[in-house]
Amino acid sequence: MGTSVLVLRRKAGEAIAIGDGIEISVIEISPTRVKLGVIAPREISVLRKETIAVAMENRKAAELVSGNVKPGLQEIVRALGGLTPKMSSGPS
Amino acid sequence: MMTAALPDCGEAVNNRATTLITARSGVIHSPWIGDIEWDSRSELLFPHGLPGFEDHRRMLPVEIPSQRPLVYLQSVECAEVCFLCLPVLAIDPCFQLELSEEEGAAIFLPENCAPEIGVDVLCLGLLIPSDTTVQANLSAPIVVNLHNGRGVQCVAHGKTVSRFRLGQDGRWEPAC
Repeated sequence: MGTSVLVLRRKAGEAIAIGDGIEISVIEISPTRVKLGVIAPREISVLRKETIAVAMENRKAAELVSGNVKPGLQEIVRALGGLTPKMSSGPS
Repeated sequence: MMTAALPDCGEAVNNRATTLITARSGVIHSPWIGDIEWDSRSELLFPHGLPGFEDHRRMLPVEIPSQRPLVYLQSVECAEVCFLCLPVLAIDPCFQLELSEEEGAAIFLPENCAPEIGVDVLCLGLLIPSDTTVQANLSAPIVVNLHNGRGVQCVAHGKTVSRFRLGQDGRWEPAC
């Protein structure tokens, strides 16, 4: 079953409200882009949709250094031709 | 002990790295790469953090000489958060930087400027584990204004995704 989509037409300077605390206003319209302003409670995350995939990749990227995933950091450094990283204290 | 400084990729970088002061300084005890000596001049400011790490706004670029050109991006706010990066040109020598208006504004680049990598901006690709190797998504590079230390991670805006994979021979190849 598909998700139904509410379609609204708005002009620059107009807004829509979602629930009690979220307001999305149209600030500027150009031939290729729309500039939106979002007012939302601090606990609501507001992201560009394409940013979500990057956020997931970034979380995986952080695991590379922390050693929670394979390949490990040392393997990567070796593959790139460097030396094994020192895990206690690096060179001064 | 390592010292945080911008990677050696141009005169502007060298100048910055050699003018360290100790107005705000300290040592971060990274469980992954050891103790890092830092000060406010070597700190990068990401006004919006990185996607998924929005609260991590202060980062240190750390190079271990024997591992160049690898760059560790270490969070100042949390010693456990650290990323491994490579300059994008070390992955794809043909890389072309595309910044949106908002991304340029976030790092205070002049409007309509074409920043030069290594002179105006540092451009890093985050390494992401993938099966038995790593990938770099060059559609989402980390871009740092070398003139003020402000950084942003650019996100593809409908562009073709540019992904590279580290091959067994240590060379980077386009990933499907």
